[in-house]
Amino acid sequence: MTYPQGWPVVPRLLVRRERWPGGYGMRGTALVYPGQEVEPHQPVMRLERIDLRARSGSPASSPIIVPAGLRGRVIEITRRGGVIIESRAALIQGSIGVGNQVAGVLTIWQAPLPNRPPQQIPPGAILVVPVPLTFAMLRQMLTSGIVGVVASSIAARDLEGFLGADLITLMSSVNHDLIRLPPLTLLFTEGLGELPMPEYTLNLLKRYVGNVALLSGFTSVMPRRLPELLISLPHEETQGNWQPLTPDPELRLGSLVRISAGEHRGQVGRIEYFFMHQQAFLSNVTARAARVRLEDGSGLVVPLANLERIAE
Amino acid sequence: MQTESYLGEGQRPTSNANSDAASSILVADCGNAFTKVSLLGLVEGQYRLMARGETPSTIAPPHADVTKGILQAIGEIETITGRHFVSNGRLISPEQPTGDGVDLFVANMSVGGPLRIVVLGAVSPELENLAAQAVSGLYAETYAIPAPSYIAAGQAKPLSTVPRGATPIPNAPWTQERLALEWERQLERMRELQPQAALIVGLTDSPAGATPLQEACQLIINAVKELNSQSGEQFRLPVVYAGAPQFVEAVRRLLNGYGEVTRVETLVSPAQLGPTSMAAMALYEREIVQRSPGYENLHSLTRSTPVATTSSLSSLVRFLAQHYAMNVTAVDVGASATTLMMAGERGEFIPLVNTGVGVGQGLGSILQQAGFARITRWLPFSITEEELREYVMNHMLHPEIIPTGHRELQLAQAFAREAIILGLEVLQKQGYGAFDADLVLATGGVLSHAPKFGQAALMLLDALQPRGVTSLVLDRTGLISQLGAVATVAPIAAVQVNENDAVMHRLGTCVVPFGELPPGQTAIRVGVEYSNGRQVTAEVMTGSIEIIPLRLNEQALLTLYPAPTVDVGLGPGERARAAEEIDGGLVGLIIDARGRPLAFPKNETERQARIMQWMQVIGA
Repeated sequence: MTYPQGWPVVPRLLVRRERWPGGYGMRGTALVYPGQEVEPHQPVMRLERIDLRARSGSPASSPIIVPAGLRGRVIEITRRGGVIIESRAALIQGSIGVGNQVAGVLTIWQAPLPNRPPQQIPPGAILVVPVPLTFAMLRQMLTSGIVGVVASSIAARDLEGFLGADLITLMSSVNHDLIRLPPLTLLFTEGLGELPMPEYTLNLLKRYVGNVALLSGFTSVMPRRLPELLISLPHEETQGNWQPLTPDPELRLGSLVRISAGEHRGQVGRIEYFFMHQQAFLSNVTARAARVRLEDGSGLVVPLANLERIAE
Repeated sequence: MQTESYLGEGQRPTSNANSDAASSILVADCGNAFTKVSLLGLVEGQYRLMARGETPSTIAPPHADVTKGILQAIGEIETITGRHFVSNGRLISPEQPTGDGVDLFVANMSVGGPLRIVVLGAVSPELENLAAQAVSGLYAETYAIPAPSYIAAGQAKPLSTVPRGATPIPNAPWTQERLALEWERQLERMRELQPQAALIVGLTDSPAGATPLQEACQLIINAVKELNSQSGEQFRLPVVYAGAPQFVEAVRRLLNGYGEVTRVETLVSPAQLGPTSMAAMALYEREIVQRSPGYENLHSLTRSTPVATTSSLSSLVRFLAQHYAMNVTAVDVGASATTLMMAGERGEFIPLVNTGVGVGQGLGSILQQAGFARITRWLPFSITEEELREYVMNHMLHPEIIPTGHRELQLAQAFAREAIILGLEVLQKQGYGAFDADLVLATGGVLSHAPKFGQAALMLLDALQPRGVTSLVLDRTGLISQLGAVATVAPIAAVQVNENDAVMHRLGTCVVPFGELPPGQTAIRVGVEYSNGRQVTAEVMTGSIEIIPLRLNEQALLTLYPAPTVDVGLGPGERARAAEEIDGGLVGLIIDARGRPLAFPKNETERQARIMQWMQVIGA
């Protein structure tokens, strides 16, 4: 698979995103104007649920004030009242996720230990959990006041149990506005199963602990949309001759890649050789392949179609 | 088999190239998971397949350009042939004296999701079925939403359900409240579906009169207004009007500003399917194909208009049926759609594109529709439901994955079987009876790339469950879907490549006795007389498959002696001797006496053992 931005983790990118928390029957009123510089905590929109049955489309609920979630410049106000913000940001693209766009402070989860007092998690935080999540953990998080979770992976059964929804149906839907889901946005960097979060992903998240991030969990297969976490880079990192990275998605000699299927799914390595001829695998299927040097030093022959480039 | 005239051809590509002089042709097939390109060229005066390339599709970001995948696949062909076809991102055309370049380039497309069409108005169950038939050969899906007044007149079923806890009253009166609930539910349905087009059908001869047509318009207006107020756009829904002719102008006036109305012949019976089908095809081309990322770049590569892959495949299937004077069934299992096409020698044609059902992005649909038990019955190992679901979801997100282990391969092939079976079930629901094919033609990655020919043969036998005598042919090169597009610009090339290269993977002839196969006894005795005079007799037990060696390009005379209650096409117990020699194949002569319909042992261990046995015998 090739990620929409080329790689799943991009440390510096120039992005434009519409700040729109989603939801059916909502209308936004912008509190900012094009050209204005905004900070992540700054209110940029007032969101109201409108009564679509009423002729005038009058508001049916109290307004919600929506913060920017990103540091940058307002580019445009959309017709529905969303605010498009251009920002210099770091991006993490997940494999699967659920939930509307939310903004929150990045907080690293600490595993509970007998001698350690319970972690104080600020309300409205986005919690980073570098280990596989479970149903029980999610249930606990639901009542903790956080708005989102970025974790490595989860068993499909646990995720469906938490959502009360069929994941296959969710992934096949074009939008989730009419589906009732728990109010917690989720992003899983490695997808389904029990895979830990890779170092390169965790390192980037640790670097920006305490910063506000914008998290969107929506995942669909057609058209292909993946969940993402955007973290606006601090001022000091965007000074001088700042250039965004242009991720090269092509598989090349020396590229850092991740294996997306099979027994070694989730393992990371570098391409050290491209075979000229198709290679045969245990299944007797033949395919174009590359030899990958894994992080543990072992070498593996993998079909090119089962590799995804993740970095340089 | 019911006789059906062909429902519609779709667009015909045009080409300004002098196709008679073309000595080289590049043809691309752009799917949702993979892009395939083939190079055809003249070899000793005959068009042959020279080379092919295949890469993951580039329709999605970051590429978001279908032509990038095409150029990458052409790059593979350049590596194989040592020739150059692309310079500075542009195709070199015509072919140069150096051998670089190509004379013609044509493309097939099956990218993008299916066209979602809501069927509105006085939608009776019969009209709902007809609408589905009209689009059955296209990448399109229909969703019927009958008008509330039509439902209230007892002509159709409502979408709204009785509130939880309440007792349903079969003949509850249609009060204002109930009608309002139905309206709300219908509007909700429109929001869920986000249709790309609407088809208004129905006459005014029901007790509801013309009101359903008016309500259809009102539903469209409400849905479009709501969508526009949310998005801020000025969207107008494409509408095909196939309803009562006297109201077409009224419908146009009502929908002014909300819908673009195209009128077609009123849909009342299968005889009017053609115009509706043509209109749906035109909408598919406009709303899906032409909006594919990179479509405008495709025009810089080819002057020919890209053809929908189903149109391309249907042309070839019908040609084969008429050219060889036989009944042909074609099967194409793709990543997000499964196509079945049945063509008879007299011109009968039944196309079906089961959109959303495929072995890539469409894997989830197969699991949801067929269920855990049906899929796992094909596996020679045990698997938990959770493992199966995770496999499905991972593959939906990574449709280009290649199975490297036996387990993954067998899972993929099990899903392929059920994808085909689901298509047959749709055809049954549409009223089509069993189609006895003389030739079964298989294509699509999971079939074409099956590492063993026996695996492909077994998938086809298990899914289609043919009866009598049938030939199985595998499109190993993926050319079948492309040759129809080639035929529109260079028909001679298409015919020659078809005869030389496209069907060279004959798997073999199958003999499938049916009827009451005697348990534990010989179902059929088969006598084979080879061309060199050697004779072989085989007794095939009920419940088993046997392979009698008969290689590719080998022929033999066949005599069949079925048991008294067993039929091979001439009646129970009737001996059959072929008038002509039958052809061999890569698998051989396959005698499938497992019975129809296929039955599996109830005991799990026995079932797995039986599956393994079948696989071993057939070389899977």
